[in-house]
Amino acid sequence: MLEKKIRCPSCDFVQTVNGEPGQTVKITCPSCNNVGAFQFPKDPSLHPSDDTSSAISVVELTKTFESVSAVDSATFHIKKGEIFGFLGPNGAGKTTTIKAILGLLYPDKGEIRINGTNIFTDEKKAKSQIGYLPEKVAFYDNLTALQNLMFYAEIKQVSKQCCQPLLNEFGLADAVDKKVGAFSKGMLQRLGMARAVMGDPSILILDEPSSGLDPRGVVFMREKIKHMQQRGATVLVSSHILGEIQEMCDRVCIINKGKIVAVDRIDNLGTRLHLRPKIVILLEKMTEKILKAVEKLKDVDHVETTGTLLEVNCLASAKANVILSVVKAGGNIMNLQIREPSLEDVFMRFTED
Amino acid sequence: MNISFLHHPIVLIAKKEIMDNIRNKWILLMTGIFAALTLLISYFGSLGQGWQDLGLTIAGMMALVQYLIPIIGLMLGYAAIVGEIERGSMSALLSFPLKRIEVLIGKFLGLGGVLSFSLLVGFGIAGIVISANVSEVDIGQYLIFLLASVLLGLVFVALSLLASSFFHNRSTAMGLAIFLWFFFTMIWGIIMLGVAMLSMDVETAFTSGFPDWYYAINIINPISAYGTLVSLNVGPVSSSFTEQAFSNPAFYSSELMATILFLWIAISLIIAYIFFKKRDI
Repeated sequence: MLEKKIRCPSCDFVQTVNGEPGQTVKITCPSCNNVGAFQFPKDPSLHPSDDTSSAISVVELTKTFESVSAVDSATFHIKKGEIFGFLGPNGAGKTTTIKAILGLLYPDKGEIRINGTNIFTDEKKAKSQIGYLPEKVAFYDNLTALQNLMFYAEIKQVSKQCCQPLLNEFGLADAVDKKVGAFSKGMLQRLGMARAVMGDPSILILDEPSSGLDPRGVVFMREKIKHMQQRGATVLVSSHILGEIQEMCDRVCIINKGKIVAVDRIDNLGTRLHLRPKIVILLEKMTEKILKAVEKLKDVDHVETTGTLLEVNCLASAKANVILSVVKAGGNIMNLQIREPSLEDVFMRFTED
Repeated sequence: MNISFLHHPIVLIAKKEIMDNIRNKWILLMTGIFAALTLLISYFGSLGQGWQDLGLTIAGMMALVQYLIPIIGLMLGYAAIVGEIERGSMSALLSFPLKRIEVLIGKFLGLGGVLSFSLLVGFGIAGIVISANVSEVDIGQYLIFLLASVLLGLVFVALSLLASSFFHNRSTAMGLAIFLWFFFTMIWGIIMLGVAMLSMDVETAFTSGFPDWYYAINIINPISAYGTLVSLNVGPVSSSFTEQAFSNPAFYSSELMATILFLWIAISLIIAYIFFKKRDI
């Protein structure tokens, strides 16, 4: 049940109305008898709440660059302790949103709170809780890795003693005294992550954390992110590597052309889009009997054959029945694959024109 | 949270700027240039008659210093803000718990400190060498010259930060810095000459003196204010046509000139902050 305070446009009387997501409630003002209606949002997670469990709250964020709308009324809430994926095509508004969350750019409209603290009115308190890995990792090239980290440690008011262990932890023990100007992209990314986790921030904001890393580095980074979550941190990850997001994230937010188009768990998004698992069966021999047996099953959407390959789209609950029917109809299964709806399917559907 | 003075973000940013200039040897180079110039002018300025005293040395140096200090101040700071934004290090820095005003003031104090140190040590060493070789030494005059030079340097460091906060890339910030230098060292004099020619009988003005408003406009230029501040305390020193080597008007005072220089610093930094604060990083 949702609750909303409504102000009467005629007499300014404020009353509280209750309703379910998506429900339209008729309202009569008890003061002036003015009649109106209010529709509750279908997805409350997209709309403002007084939820104190939010690590990051973005409400009605709007930013325009020279009359081009970069972010348009974006609203989402990131729960404390979750890994939250932030996805969108290039130019969708991801980095703009992230920079606004960090107070690096000023929105035309909207409110951003970090653990309840407004980033624009108490920026020091808000920022002291954040570790940030920018998309374009940059350091002071004329300083060594250790000198760079020590400078940031001083700025963050954490002990400089943490710098050497951090460099060791991120595989940069051999590059401690090397000038950062000579670092490879992968080394810079590791150093950037070391800077982000310095002082154990309660919120990590990571813009393309796997950028420039080799496969081993990608796995290492993913483990570090999960480790930070286990230590209680909330993580906002923006990445184009959807497999990585699918593996790590509790929920995802998809932004397209500046608008938030979805915020939910990946499986919920798949269900909402009616995405079905696909069963791919390689048979020794394809027969009419097998095809008919599968087609007549309840909850089967689509059946396709290519030679002895049978592809069936069905509800998750019908998967076992499909396989059983094939076997009962005399099918000899040589190979079997079940492809669950992926984040890629979800992403493509939500971002298509 | 109480932060000790040495760990205040302004001090940390200033310290980093100073350390950067120590590492890249800029501070050493500038100190060497200031010391060498002073010694050369003092020794060779007398056309083979040996060391000149400090007053004559200052007079000889003024024409050069009025060009040199502004350009060094502008070159020190024009990339301080915009360079970091372009490189990407500013977004990382500002994601830490510090305010933009602290970054700006820290950079001003750091870069201003570097230039001030170079001026004080460079001119200071030269002053000691000259003092050891001449009979009459007026340390007071030389100290005023040193402090006035530091103030002029700080004005142009503040102006360079204004250019750096205003523009979105280094090259245009450098363009403005060079324009400011041209404007205050060259164009200003031409404008003042034009104003004189259009508004008065210049021949009469040269004999009977310029009106007060003309002198008042002239000292808006920080270089003119600096030259006047030195000339009020050391004697007629200017060889630039932006100032007249005539008697100064009654309202000219050291306090006024120092105030003008301080105002330039304050106003430049306030405008720089307004631009920097509004800027999307």
